[in-house]
Amino acid sequence: MLDTLLPILIAASLALAVIGAWRRVRLWRQGRSAPVDLLKGLAAMPRRYLVDLHHVVARDKVMSNTHVATAGGFVAAAVLMVLVHGLGLAQGVLGWALLAASATMFAGSCFVARRRRNPPARLSKGPWMRLPKSLMAFSLSIFAITLPAVGLLPEDFGSWILALALCTVLVWGLGEMVFGMTWGGPMKHAFAGALHLAFHRRAERFSTKGGEGNRSTGLKALNLDDRDAPLGVETPSDFTWNQLLGFDACVQCGRCEAVCPAFAAGQPLNPKKLIQDMVVGMAGGSDAHYAGSPYPGKPVGEHEGSADGPIVAREGKALVDADTLWSCTTCRACVEECPMMIEHVDAIVDMRRFLTLEHGNTPNKGAEVLDNLIATDNPGGFDPGARMHWAADLELPLMRDLQQAEVLLWLGDGAYDMRNQRTLRSLVKVLRAADVDFAVLGDEERDSGDVARRLGDEATFQSLAKRNIATLSKYRFKRIVTCDPHSFHVLGNEYGELGGDYEVRHHSTFIAELYDAGRLHFKPWKGGSVTYHDPCYLGRYNGEFEAPRNVLRALGIEVAEMERSGFRSRCCGGGGGAPITDIPGKQRIPDMRMGDVRETGAELVAVGCPQCTAMLEGVVDASAEVRDIAELVADALIAAPASTGERSQTQEAQAAEVL
Amino acid sequence: MAFDAIFQPIQIGNLTIRNRVVSTAHAEVHATDGGMTTDRYVKYYEEKAKGGCGLCICGGSSVVSIDSPQGWWSSVNLSTDRIIPHFQNLADAVHKHGGKIMIQITHMGRRSRWDGFDWPTLVSPSGIREPVHRSTCKTIEEEEIWRIIGDFAQAARRAKEGGLDGVELSAVHQHLVDQFWSPRVNKRTDQWGGSFENRMRFGMEVLKAVRAEVGDDFVVGMRICGDEFHPDGLSHDDMKQIAAYYDATGKVDFFGVVGSGCDTHDTLANVIPNMAYPPEPFLHLAAGIKEVVKAPVIHAQNIKDPNQAERILEGGYVDLVGMTRAHIADPHLIAKIKMDQVDQIKQCVGANYCIDRQYQGLDVLCIQNAATSREYMGLPHIIEQTEGKKRKVVVVGGGPGGMEAARVAAERGHDVTLFEASDQLGGQITTAAKAPQRDQIAGITRWFQLELDRLKVDQRLGSRADEATILDLRPDIVVLATGGRPYLEQHEEWGYSDNAEESLVVSTWDILNGKVEPGKNVLIYDALCEFSGMSAADYLADKGAKVEIVTDDIKPGAAVGGTTFPTYYRSLYQKEVIMTSDMMLHKVYREGDSLVAVLENEYTGTQEERVVDQVVVENGVRPDEALYYALKDRSRNKGQVDLEALYAIKPQPCLSEEGDEPLLFRLGDCTAPRNTHAAIYDALRLCKDF
Repeated sequence: MLDTLLPILIAASLALAVIGAWRRVRLWRQGRSAPVDLLKGLAAMPRRYLVDLHHVVARDKVMSNTHVATAGGFVAAAVLMVLVHGLGLAQGVLGWALLAASATMFAGSCFVARRRRNPPARLSKGPWMRLPKSLMAFSLSIFAITLPAVGLLPEDFGSWILALALCTVLVWGLGEMVFGMTWGGPMKHAFAGALHLAFHRRAERFSTKGGEGNRSTGLKALNLDDRDAPLGVETPSDFTWNQLLGFDACVQCGRCEAVCPAFAAGQPLNPKKLIQDMVVGMAGGSDAHYAGSPYPGKPVGEHEGSADGPIVAREGKALVDADTLWSCTTCRACVEECPMMIEHVDAIVDMRRFLTLEHGNTPNKGAEVLDNLIATDNPGGFDPGARMHWAADLELPLMRDLQQAEVLLWLGDGAYDMRNQRTLRSLVKVLRAADVDFAVLGDEERDSGDVARRLGDEATFQSLAKRNIATLSKYRFKRIVTCDPHSFHVLGNEYGELGGDYEVRHHSTFIAELYDAGRLHFKPWKGGSVTYHDPCYLGRYNGEFEAPRNVLRALGIEVAEMERSGFRSRCCGGGGGAPITDIPGKQRIPDMRMGDVRETGAELVAVGCPQCTAMLEGVVDASAEVRDIAELVADALIAAPASTGERSQTQEAQAAEVL
Repeated sequence: MAFDAIFQPIQIGNLTIRNRVVSTAHAEVHATDGGMTTDRYVKYYEEKAKGGCGLCICGGSSVVSIDSPQGWWSSVNLSTDRIIPHFQNLADAVHKHGGKIMIQITHMGRRSRWDGFDWPTLVSPSGIREPVHRSTCKTIEEEEIWRIIGDFAQAARRAKEGGLDGVELSAVHQHLVDQFWSPRVNKRTDQWGGSFENRMRFGMEVLKAVRAEVGDDFVVGMRICGDEFHPDGLSHDDMKQIAAYYDATGKVDFFGVVGSGCDTHDTLANVIPNMAYPPEPFLHLAAGIKEVVKAPVIHAQNIKDPNQAERILEGGYVDLVGMTRAHIADPHLIAKIKMDQVDQIKQCVGANYCIDRQYQGLDVLCIQNAATSREYMGLPHIIEQTEGKKRKVVVVGGGPGGMEAARVAAERGHDVTLFEASDQLGGQITTAAKAPQRDQIAGITRWFQLELDRLKVDQRLGSRADEATILDLRPDIVVLATGGRPYLEQHEEWGYSDNAEESLVVSTWDILNGKVEPGKNVLIYDALCEFSGMSAADYLADKGAKVEIVTDDIKPGAAVGGTTFPTYYRSLYQKEVIMTSDMMLHKVYREGDSLVAVLENEYTGTQEERVVDQVVVENGVRPDEALYYALKDRSRNKGQVDLEALYAIKPQPCLSEEGDEPLLFRLGDCTAPRNTHAAIYDALRLCKDF
């Protein structure tokens, strides 16, 4: 009886899966077109899965092994099942292989089940709670029905009742694993995830045989000249089709939720829920079936949307509230942790673009900051002619006078901020101590456009960027050095698309190079214990984790690392215009970060970003002093040893006070 | 951006000044080496530059000629090329920190003394005596005029060759230039007097000669007054005319404006307004000058607070603010603004200890900052944390000495407990602040209070420490600064008793602290002639009492400095307080409901009686030594201070010796009554090496 039933069952489930897949593809195709090389993507997919995706998954060893066993077992079992039971090729090794595959899958599903016994809050419940049982049903029933096929049990073992029972269990397994995969069950992640890897909007993120992928963190430019293109994303169908596909790949593991600073602060954002809301919107409906943690303070079931309906309502509720989108600090912790390589930040900025450019609805100080940028080329609205006031006594060489220099020192808008001026003056002192040939743009410099872009004002960003590029194109320099990771990121990763290609260095990188080249000499560190806070735009955005630590080591500092450091560093709360849009939560992100600092017992937290400095210094009752790496280096400078004594004299004469 | 008006650079001539804050010219009384700028001088200005000051104009009244003597105030001598290398050190020290430095140059004419050094004959346009210095002078001759014009030019050359950034020609404070300007002093009928142009001629020839000598690439400014405040002197309108006249030449790069002339004691007090004055009392005069000139205008006079400076600059009244005493109190004022530590700025309180010393020919010091102008000795403005062991330090007494000791010890990183018997910090400063027009002196305490809170010093207020409480804390070091109490029992005849009911006399402290109701008819006997007696007289008169203040000294208030006794006199005369000198208090006795004070003339022995209802005696402070002698034998060093180490600003040798018993030091009035500065200085130099 099984011989008859099995091929029918298998064929039926496969057929249903194909129909489901076609329907799913139609949902994705509601999105706008995107330039993707389909064949090349499909060809690259296995490597992207086995190397890049697993690189992320493998951060959790137990889950990684669980997934290898379960997914690997399933894929093998599914293929063999078709061969053995669908086409009746049970002879020889195939049947034994199917037994092994289903056994492996079963073993894996036991671990999946174990995790589901006391699931952490970040995991979605609902249908996901039945998944381990479905996995077991599939693997056990396949195993059982294969036993007679390889002759371990007699062909007629048991009665027809047993066969029927087995088939029922198999139907459950097949239903979840094959039918559910394309019809929206938990296994959808495998189907959508595989295609998402193949057709990912940032193909450059992935490794190739030639080498590592790059971090590909720059936002993609909006084509402002295309009259038909929407300004940002208003409805789910305004996303590109492969973005929609990406949302569909979400496995609801909640790793993003666990690392999201806004979520932890009780602001109304949960990256996982946001992605799920996009899936709801794409298919149409409400979020009532969402089975994970809600946006803090926003009960589930009150929002709904459709593919062509607005995501954010001008008034009342739609799919997502605006404050959810404005809570994001663009820290990329979610993107960094996502095992499905989903691009949350791209999506959030896309939606912000619409709110800012079409609705003019940038909350709180947002509109004022953007107005300032438009009027004065700096977010504070300061007199553009006052940009160099902080350096009136430093006699900084101007590019306008020199036309060329080895290093162009990019100041950033911290030039207007009294706190950051100390960092800048320290950096100048360091550059002079190392005899670096540098110059600044002076009053010709404009804001890099970072804040405008993160607030969704792509037009102002592009205007600033193009004018900066025009200015930079007048002068010759080898590289740009800046103490502002946001400028670093924008100049290095986002100007390229607009025609500005530069070699940009964060000052910590540059100082590390100068030290390695023997151009800087430090006296030994005498202060207390020090921890280091990785700025998001330096670390996660640009992969620079080592240089700042190398500089601190060169100063004689042994860094007492925070639990969340390196690529897992917790945001200070200052990115993405979040301090400007200022969405209230239950606590402040920088307070939490200073809590992380306190846990290390450090008396000083070294930073490398004006924004981080401002945020962390704004913490009341902080246990640690906040200092930029440049300040620590400037304090530690000593003249070169006697052999290069001549230079050290000029060094002394030139070194201006930090204050 | 906070304070953006302060931090807006400005161009003066070809010079860029990094911010709008100036330490204006004042006599430092540091150029002791025959008028050469000393190491002390250089370090004093280097500290200001290090602290971020935009422009320092040094050398108030630096002389250009040998008949304008420098020795009285140890001012800088630009009459010789010998000064040039000294200037180079000075310029380098300031430039190194991004600051700019100019010097004021002048010939003081009659405004000096002739009875010393080279015994010069002083010169003046019309030979009229100058009252403040009691100086006579000759009528200057044409040849001398041209010689001095040439001296100005040579002096400017020396400043330029020394690497300074500019010179300020002094035409203020009744120096020779404005002696020619003012019809009050210039009665000449030749081409140097009479008409406006003639009176302007000397200054104009000086300006032309200086400019011709130094060229356009060197800053030349002028300091002028805004109104001489004399009916026969130069009015504000006159000064506007004069400023515009010189400005029109295009040869003046800036004007410094000082409200008020200063050739009488009363006007002199205006020039450096003490705490009796409101903030920036003469800003309107500087703003009036700014209306008529193109060159930038600098104005000092009672601008002490960064917010005040910002407001003045933002309002556009003047282009740069002088914060001169503000920098004497805290040379790191600008740095602290930049560090967002405005609350840590030690703000000038207008006690005028600095300028009142200067008028006595003593070096300029700050009442509350003992490190100022002692930078060369190694006294720090910023106290470094100790690298040695952390100690338990107990300080007893929350007056100025105790507060400074606690602050410095806490900055060193020690665990500090401060006991104060009363329920607030301040000691005698609290009492001093009770008098009319003297409330601002409490700013000294306010700063200490903020600092001690910031440094988390354990402050036990309302807690009189005894031997047991102190030793229970197991201190490594005990510093006693317990002060003293009014010394009324010196003469039995005064009838003082510890029993308030029986005592015939009360102290100025009792009056000012409100412990004793003011009488209606009061005699104050003031043996000191310092602030306390004058303050008590002012206080009582202010409460409606009829007051006579009597002293056996030459005049009540005789020991109060030259910029402060006038503000007392204004107030006391206005309230019809009688000031009697040369009489000592012989005896007080009771007669019915009244008291009779018997006064005896020091020179004749004649006695007079006054029938009053209250006798207040100011006879100084008697040290409170009880706690010291209770602890002395329990201490390792027997309470002794190594004077050689103390005077050399070196660590006390006993600090590096081991032992179980605590070290004991005492300072301030509990040793012997001196003054606020003495207590703070001792505390700083003693505790900086704890």
